Amino acid sequence: MNDDATDSDATDRMLLQRMAAGDRVALGVLYRSYHGRLCRFLTRLTRRADVIEEVINDCFWIAWQKAGTFHGDSRVSTWLMGIAYRCGLKALRQHGDEPVEDDPRHEERSATHDLDEDRELRDWLGKGLERLSVDQRVVIELVYGVGHTLDDVAVIMQCPVGTVKARLFHARVKLRNVLPTLAGDSPKRTENAP
Amino acid sequence: MTFPMDSGKDCVHAWEMMPWVMQGSATQEQGAWLESHLAQCESCRAEFAQQSRLRLALSLPADVPVNADVGLGRLLARLDTADAPEARPRSRPPSWLSRALVAAVLVQALGIGVLGVKLWSMGGGNPAYRTLSQETLPAAPGAIRVVPDASMTLADWSALLHALRLQVVSGPNDVGAYTVAPASSASTAQHALQQLRTTRGILLAEPVAVTP
Repeated sequence: MNDDATDSDATDRMLLQRMAAGDRVALGVLYRSYHGRLCRFLTRLTRRADVIEEVINDCFWIAWQKAGTFHGDSRVSTWLMGIAYRCGLKALRQHGDEPVEDDPRHEERSATHDLDEDRELRDWLGKGLERLSVDQRVVIELVYGVGHTLDDVAVIMQCPVGTVKARLFHARVKLRNVLPTLAGDSPKRTENAP
Repeated sequence: MTFPMDSGKDCVHAWEMMPWVMQGSATQEQGAWLESHLAQCESCRAEFAQQSRLRLALSLPADVPVNADVGLGRLLARLDTADAPEARPRSRPPSWLSRALVAAVLVQALGIGVLGVKLWSMGGGNPAYRTLSQETLPAAPGAIRVVPDASMTLADWSALLHALRLQVVSGPNDVGAYTVAPASSASTAQHALQQLRTTRGILLAEPVAVTP
C-alpha cells in the first residue's frame, strides 16, 4: 500500500468510526468519496442507473449498520467493494443480468461530454468486456480500474487467490485476442506475443 | 484459449507482471526488470501498450448517469424511515393511560385469584346440579329407607315423622320409598328405626348402608 492509500484508508476508518456513533455527515462524506468508483464498478454488472443507485444505497445501508463491527482486517475500500459486489450480484439475480437498453438521456450526455477519443475508447472496452463473464469483468475492473491486488480481490469476491488468478488470466487472454481486432489492428500480433 | 505456450519464459513472466507494474503494486526491481525486457521485446511492448490502453479505458468515469446527491438523499430518507419506529418508544415515557391499564389488569388478576380461592375453599361439594354420569349422592349418616303403606294418609305420615324427629331427604322413588334422616342430632337413628318398624302402615324400614 503506498502512502496515499494509507492516508486515504486512515481517513476512511475515521469516517467509519464516526458513522458507528451515528454521524450522518461522516456517512455523506464516505458516500460521495466512493460514489464514482462504485458507479463505475457496477456499470460492469449492469447498465441500469436505477439498479446502480439501489446497489450503492444497499451497500452504504449495510456499511451504516455494520460500521461498528469493522475490525480493520482489510482496507475500508476493500470492505466496501466486497459489500457492493455482493449487493450487485443480488441485484443481478433480482433484476436479471441482461444489460437493459441505455437511457436516451445517457446517450445524449455521453455524446456531449465525452471527447471523441474517450467515446472510441469506451466502445472498444465495451465490446471487449461483452466477451467476458460477470466474474471476469469484475476481476478486470478491480485490478485495472480500481487498482486492487490479487489478495484484495480474493477478499472482495470471497474466493481463493488461485481462483482470482485463474479468472484474471482467462479474462486477459480473451481480451488480448479480441481487443486488437476491435481496434482495427492486425490480429497477427497476438500470435507472436507471449 | 489462444495464449501461446511456446512464448519465451521471460515474455510469460513479463505478461504476468504487467498489471501490477502498471498499478504500482510491483516492487521497484520488478518494474525495472520489466522495463529492460520491454526495451528488447517488441511483442511485449505492443502487449504493454494494449494493457495500458485497457487500463486507461477502465479508468474513465462511469458513463451511466447516477446522481450522488439524489442517491444520498434517498439513503438518508431510508435511514429516517428505519429509525422512526425504534426511536419513538425510546424517546417517549409510558403515558398515564398505559400505567392505568396495567394497574387495571393487575387488579383484575388479583380479584380473579381471590375469587378462585374462595370458591375452592367452599368445597364445591354440593353443586346445584348433577350429571348423568355422576354417582348418587352418599346417604346422610343414620338415613333410613322407609316404605309407607299406600293407604297411609299424608297427615299420619307427617305426624309420624314429626314424632320421631325425622325428615325426608329424598323420595318417594319409583316404588314409593322415602329416605328419611334424623332432623337433629338429639334423635338417634337406631331408636327411630325401631319405632318405624313397630308402626302400623310402615311396610319397610331399613337403614341405608353408608358407603365408606
